[in-house]
Amino acid sequence: MDPQKRAALIGRIKTSLSRQLRYYLDLCTRCGLCYDTCHVYYGIPKKEYSPVGRAEIVRRIYKKYFRPSGWLFPFWGDSKEITETTIEELSDAAFSCTGCRRCMMYCPFAIDTPVVLSIAKAMLIEYGAAPEELTILADGAVEKGESIAEFKEGYRHVIGDLEKEVATRINASSPEGLIPLEKKGAEILFVGLAGAHSIVNPAIIFNKAKVQWTLSWFEAVNFGAFLGDPIKTQRIAQRIINEAIELGVKEVVIVECGTAYRIPKYLLGPLPFKVSSIIEVIHRYIQNGNIKIKEKAIQEAVTYHDPCQLGRNGGIYEQPREILQLLCTDYREMSPNRAYNWCCGGGGGLVALDNEQFRIQSGKAKRDQITATGARIVVSACENCIFQLETIKTGYGLDIEVKSLTELVAEHLV
Amino acid sequence: MAEDIKADVTMDLKGLKCPLPVVKVSQQIKKMQIGQILMAETTDPGAHADFPAWAKTSGNEILRIDKDGDVSKFYIKKLK
Repeated sequence: MDPQKRAALIGRIKTSLSRQLRYYLDLCTRCGLCYDTCHVYYGIPKKEYSPVGRAEIVRRIYKKYFRPSGWLFPFWGDSKEITETTIEELSDAAFSCTGCRRCMMYCPFAIDTPVVLSIAKAMLIEYGAAPEELTILADGAVEKGESIAEFKEGYRHVIGDLEKEVATRINASSPEGLIPLEKKGAEILFVGLAGAHSIVNPAIIFNKAKVQWTLSWFEAVNFGAFLGDPIKTQRIAQRIINEAIELGVKEVVIVECGTAYRIPKYLLGPLPFKVSSIIEVIHRYIQNGNIKIKEKAIQEAVTYHDPCQLGRNGGIYEQPREILQLLCTDYREMSPNRAYNWCCGGGGGLVALDNEQFRIQSGKAKRDQITATGARIVVSACENCIFQLETIKTGYGLDIEVKSLTELVAEHLV
Repeated sequence: MAEDIKADVTMDLKGLKCPLPVVKVSQQIKKMQIGQILMAETTDPGAHADFPAWAKTSGNEILRIDKDGDVSKFYIKKLK
């Protein structure tokens, strides 16, 4: 490797080395407790697919360049030089991890492996070896923020079509204004995704609840975060923050997308508005009587998959369960669930990469959990999870139906 | 009536979930020759902003967007 490139990579590590990261890098005793907590290792039992196996690559590079033993006795111990091969290993490690943080729940030192792997991602960006798909998506999202005026007309036109669909489904006399855009003074700014279902179903719920809301021009998902690029992450998130401030909304409601919820909710500091998941809002509307659902309308066995970013990393456990228990006569829990739930294998931007066979294999734990419940309907509240659950369904030939919770509610409103 | 555009490659992206339409288009355009035209059909409303933003960052050109019900046809010319 070119020495200048290597020096740049070492510099990148240096700027990333927070006290928290040094703690994680220095403290691991390689006890191995994390092996069996990782859904990827469960499906593909190789050391490089264990949390410690992934972090070990970063840890060895750190030893080589930032610990005295690495400088003084490079031939001794387990330090690792940065080479082309190391870059490939870092890429495999960083993009085989969904960032679910289940390993952290079991680690005696609570080592946050995705934070360790943020160094790997930073190095990949520095070297120009970050996944192209995620780079394209993040760059497109940044560009959309800068040039949104150019794209408004086309988007407004297709939203008009979606309003007609909403009008049909709620028997409204006119579609006009059912999906408002740029509505100043609205209470809620709803941020959806690219797919029509991610806008139509929430629109049905907001209209039924008779709240003042408006739809964001932007998509909620943040590919900068999946890429591991803090600057792009901030720029992508800032589009929505600016829009919310400009419109003067009190609450930003995020579509079923775990990462899109977690970033503004927990990672951007104080914001001048409340951030909620659509699931929290649906739960609130039911509790307050803003909407009514057909209770016990679903008789088939139903189970719920906790999205990692909404559950373990977002703290939303009970609201989806309470909604489902109202809707269903036969609700069944997966085991384990809530904070200890197995990741499905779709997070971390992995569904955007060309890796279907890997995702089927790493979805084995989720397959086993679903099968054990005997449920026919598997519900979740994250677009990535739903995508991956469909992949698991097809990959293992499961006789299940995968449903979004918002969609299920919208289909069963009184 | 709009002039017919002859596409060299067509892609059916209808029903694909976020973020695959842009990823698939980007992967396909890489395989094509400069000057060739890709026609991508999608049902994603977000594509009306996402595709032009991607075209701008990747240096390609959206020649035309035809809409037929909930299906949109994007004609994209590879420029580089």
